[in-house]
Amino acid sequence: MDDSRIAFKGTLQQLLEKVEKGEMIPKLQASHAPPCKFWTAFQVINGIRHMAPVIHGPKGCTYSVANAYKMRSCEYRGAPLEPTSCTAQDEADVVYGGEGKLLEAVKEADRRYHPELIVILSCCCSGIIGDDVESIAQRAEREVNAKVLAIRSEGFGGDFRSGYEDAFKVIMGLMEPPTEKMKGTINILGAREGPTYTRWTEDLDEIKRLVYAMGAKINGVFCGGCTVEQIRRARAVELNASWCYDWGQKLGDLMEERFGIPYARTGQPYGLKATEEWVMGVAVPLGLEKQATEVMRRETEELSEEVDVLRRFFEGKTALIEITEFPGPIRALSLARMASEFGAHPVVINIHPYTIKERMPSIKFLLQEGQNPEVILTKGLFSLGTFRSSWETEEELEMVAAHYDNAIYLGSPLRQPGVPQVNLTTMTGFPQYGYRGIKNMARLVQSSMEHASRPRSKLFREVLYGG
Amino acid sequence: MTETEELMRATAQRCHDPYLRCALYGAAQTALGVTGCCVLAHSPQGCYLLVDAAFGWQDADYTETLILSTKLCEDEIVHGGEELLARTILEAQELGVSILFVLTSCGPEIVGDDIVAVCEDMRPQVDFEIVPIECAGFRGDQNDGTDIALDAMLKKLTVRGRQKIPGSVCLIAPHANSNPTWMGDLAWVKEILRQMGAKVLATLTHDTRINEFEDVASAEGCIVLTHDAGQKAADYLAQEFGTEQLCKGMPLPVGFTNTRRWLMELGKGLGAQDVAERLAAEGGKMVVEQCRRKGLEQFFMHRAPAAIVADATVGIPLLRFITEDLEMIPHLLCLRSCQAESGEILKRELEELALSPKVIYDADVYQSKLALAEVKPEVVFGSNIERHAVEELDIPFVFRLVNPISRFRMVNREYFGYVGMLNLIEFIQNDWLDRYRSTQRRYKARW
Repeated sequence: MDDSRIAFKGTLQQLLEKVEKGEMIPKLQASHAPPCKFWTAFQVINGIRHMAPVIHGPKGCTYSVANAYKMRSCEYRGAPLEPTSCTAQDEADVVYGGEGKLLEAVKEADRRYHPELIVILSCCCSGIIGDDVESIAQRAEREVNAKVLAIRSEGFGGDFRSGYEDAFKVIMGLMEPPTEKMKGTINILGAREGPTYTRWTEDLDEIKRLVYAMGAKINGVFCGGCTVEQIRRARAVELNASWCYDWGQKLGDLMEERFGIPYARTGQPYGLKATEEWVMGVAVPLGLEKQATEVMRRETEELSEEVDVLRRFFEGKTALIEITEFPGPIRALSLARMASEFGAHPVVINIHPYTIKERMPSIKFLLQEGQNPEVILTKGLFSLGTFRSSWETEEELEMVAAHYDNAIYLGSPLRQPGVPQVNLTTMTGFPQYGYRGIKNMARLVQSSMEHASRPRSKLFREVLYGG
Repeated sequence: MTETEELMRATAQRCHDPYLRCALYGAAQTALGVTGCCVLAHSPQGCYLLVDAAFGWQDADYTETLILSTKLCEDEIVHGGEELLARTILEAQELGVSILFVLTSCGPEIVGDDIVAVCEDMRPQVDFEIVPIECAGFRGDQNDGTDIALDAMLKKLTVRGRQKIPGSVCLIAPHANSNPTWMGDLAWVKEILRQMGAKVLATLTHDTRINEFEDVASAEGCIVLTHDAGQKAADYLAQEFGTEQLCKGMPLPVGFTNTRRWLMELGKGLGAQDVAERLAAEGGKMVVEQCRRKGLEQFFMHRAPAAIVADATVGIPLLRFITEDLEMIPHLLCLRSCQAESGEILKRELEELALSPKVIYDADVYQSKLALAEVKPEVVFGSNIERHAVEELDIPFVFRLVNPISRFRMVNREYFGYVGMLNLIEFIQNDWLDRYRSTQRRYKARW
């Protein structure tokens, strides 16, 4: 392997230490720009039904999130079109302040849309000029029918993770003290944007299926199309669990700390072991071990062929895992664990220090759980550009794959590493989590083995990486 | 005044559900129309996504065009981001670009970063041209952003003292058009100009080479290809270089009458009336023959009460097309912008067509929905937003013509001109048929 093209090679723990010391900072500002705090805060609250956002900012921020999240929910998640309104801040508002206008906007939103909840979100403009969105929310709430919350979400004010976390934190303000506990009932935390797709099965659907199969109930999925009423009742559950440890963790910790609700700390249910951990993480606190054990036995029994396929595919191989941009680095680490479970040596490719920094709590949790795979970061991805179009990174990946004589590649079909390749995008209609996920994975690796020698598309390659 | 009336009359500036993005987006669209450029957003990382969306709207090629962001954080907002901007400009040196557009978002403009000064300071240290564009989101909507960017580009990049080239034109703001494949409209205009013997010196902007800006002053005429922006640029060219604006004050070429009038006016301006006559005659004949052969569904159109919810570029000329050629009766027109010149054009159109629909300028989603609920048209010409907005309103047909439409088009399809008419008819008929498609089966098959 040409070391001059490698920015980092070591373990996840070592990469984390470098990031903590501030050693791995890409030179060019442009590289790796995920959404800002405002986008991610909006993404969370967009998953609450009959919620009217009042964005205290210009039109651009507003239309962008409406187009990205609201329209997608209408198109694919079965959500009706609900408003995405803003104060349309202009130069005069920037000079003279816009608190009065914001108050009027909240009242107007209440009158027009009859929402159950109004959420004020601040943007860069309102944040810099110091408009006090929280005080306006308190004042507005006395004058309107809806509940009013405010999130300080100015884009410069934090990374994209902080948007998710702050939004979840603010939503806790809606949770009321319970009169009685809802026996055998859990909340699922960490969802955003809206309910699952209406026409295909997602990972969240699989874990809901498992929860119901063991005899537990779900109060709400926060914020995956939940109602304000479900949020109000959230403190009455016996347990919180997350559909994605990364995004649920903050809310789970806070609800445990503030309301004493236990939180099932488990990673993503990829493969048999992690799925069992996830299921028992819910079943044990609820006293449903017996039912859960029976569910796991039945489900595992039905998967014996698929498990054989997975063992044959992974056994003795080096599994190069590169899904660190989409569907994301935490999934890459979960896949590494699954590859290891079925007998492969996992190497996570191109998990960027930027994402390590943003996901520090989750990465530390996974390390504590004993997951410390080998990591290779190539210079192309580290220094500049997006994953899709970077031919340097493609070349580097091909070089890494050629370095091993038994490599398999788990990742994006946008890459052409020249070794057996499994398409692990999450946009293919089948889940990756749980038992149905194992079924799906077996189907994918079977196809990978059967078609490993087929040439890749010249069209795809030229479109992505040039002629 | 009833509550509904009061809400309709409000300019929706307090609680606005916008159809448009901000000035930064419009400026980015305009800058990204220059090939081989790099656009640097002096902004937090969220605005980078806005620039990325603009990249897609210009059909930019990621192997040629680059976008960067200074990714401003709290530190730069508190202490200023000029130093970071300077450093990023120096780093862009590695990218081998020929021109760098530096665009500002809200944050750095409010805290007073002087990007013009930074760009001037950096210019001697790099081997590419730098054009600063102050286009913070609070300066207006995306159409304002297009005007701001055109102004900055023309002032910085045009070369004075050039001789006029006979029969030459420059084209203004083709991208301020909500046809999702507006490049088709631009291509149609260029082909018409070619047939009339005119030479296009510059397109401001799409696939624009930097040296096209140097030729702008040589153009005898200009054509504004939108009713939503660009008039300020045309006025600037007229004032600075004596450039004559062709087809001024008339609807863009959508439908038989508008296309014919536009062609005739253009032919007159370029001394090519005979070509214009021929194009109009041939084009009109082709549309009729094609509809006869392929089939033109007329049943649902005749005197159907209709609404148009669109930008002015598509919305204003569409009014005559659906009235005259498709026999519908427009009862409502919601326009996403409100340029004074476009308002005048619309006023004349309504008088000529003896129509008095409800008209809302600068409409937002709420106003459109409320107006649709009031007017209850049978047919809506709009976007995917209206498709979802009318779900509870018992309005049967929404024809998705303007962005966003949630329909993938690999090939650019124009609305301008004669093939444009066929495209519109095709989209309308497909959406009409889709409305009748079964979404569930009444019983299962046996095999």
